[in-house]
Amino acid sequence: MNDSSVIDDLPGELMMWVLVVSELLVFGAGLLAFLGVRLTDPAGFTEAQAHLHCTGAALNTGVLVTSGFLAAQALHWRQADARLAARLAMGAAAALGVVFLWIKGVEYANKAEQGIGWDTHPFFTFYYLLTGFHAAHVVAGVLLLLLVAWKDSPRNIEAGAQFWHMVDLVWVLLFPVVYLLR
Amino acid sequence: MRVPLFSMPLVKAWMNLIGLSAGSAVLTMGGLSAEMTALAILLIALAKARVILVRYLGLDEAPGVLRGFTLVLGLFAVLVLGLYLV
Repeated sequence: MNDSSVIDDLPGELMMWVLVVSELLVFGAGLLAFLGVRLTDPAGFTEAQAHLHCTGAALNTGVLVTSGFLAAQALHWRQADARLAARLAMGAAAALGVVFLWIKGVEYANKAEQGIGWDTHPFFTFYYLLTGFHAAHVVAGVLLLLLVAWKDSPRNIEAGAQFWHMVDLVWVLLFPVVYLLR
Repeated sequence: MRVPLFSMPLVKAWMNLIGLSAGSAVLTMGGLSAEMTALAILLIALAKARVILVRYLGLDEAPGVLRGFTLVLGLFAVLVLGLYLV
């Protein structure tokens, strides 16, 4: 019997996979708690959700997905020894991360203009908690992508890309639950 | 300078993700019941997650782990749908 074979099959850094699983569990628990609290006031949650800017969030999905593609492409190029292309792709992925944060900032500013804060309704408490925590990961990811574009060993690029794909993965699960399910 | 080529599997994965995202957007425009819309949106989210896991995170090299992720994400989607429909 070979107990270690499943772990050995994992591509990339094992600790990054521990992080991926941990983050998915944290965000998954947060999203389920969000839906659990929604049961106490479904009409209020629907009314609050109507204030969200779905077009901006959908645009952000495209931005993050494209950024993830560039990070994956960077690893592909680095493994083919195309270092400059890999660095440029990582830089472009980081730039799209900044675009994501800018759109998110516009979304938050729009809420503030409407007088909506984290304590306006339990919906917004979860909204700011979940999207804010995700945005914090985007900030960390942008810094990490820039770091690995500079220190561009294949192992570093792979670890940076793994982190970024985790951020992408969390968003594709968070976006439909918070923004689309009405 | 040699211009490196894009990886076609990565390009296809990106196109799939953009297409699935567009599909989600179309679903929110109406036409289906709330329950069917929710089911379709969650299935699309699962499909997107699987593309990221397989193509970007390379879990096609670790089918056992991929099955584990698929199972747990599937259970998550069932819980989400259950809580949404209660």
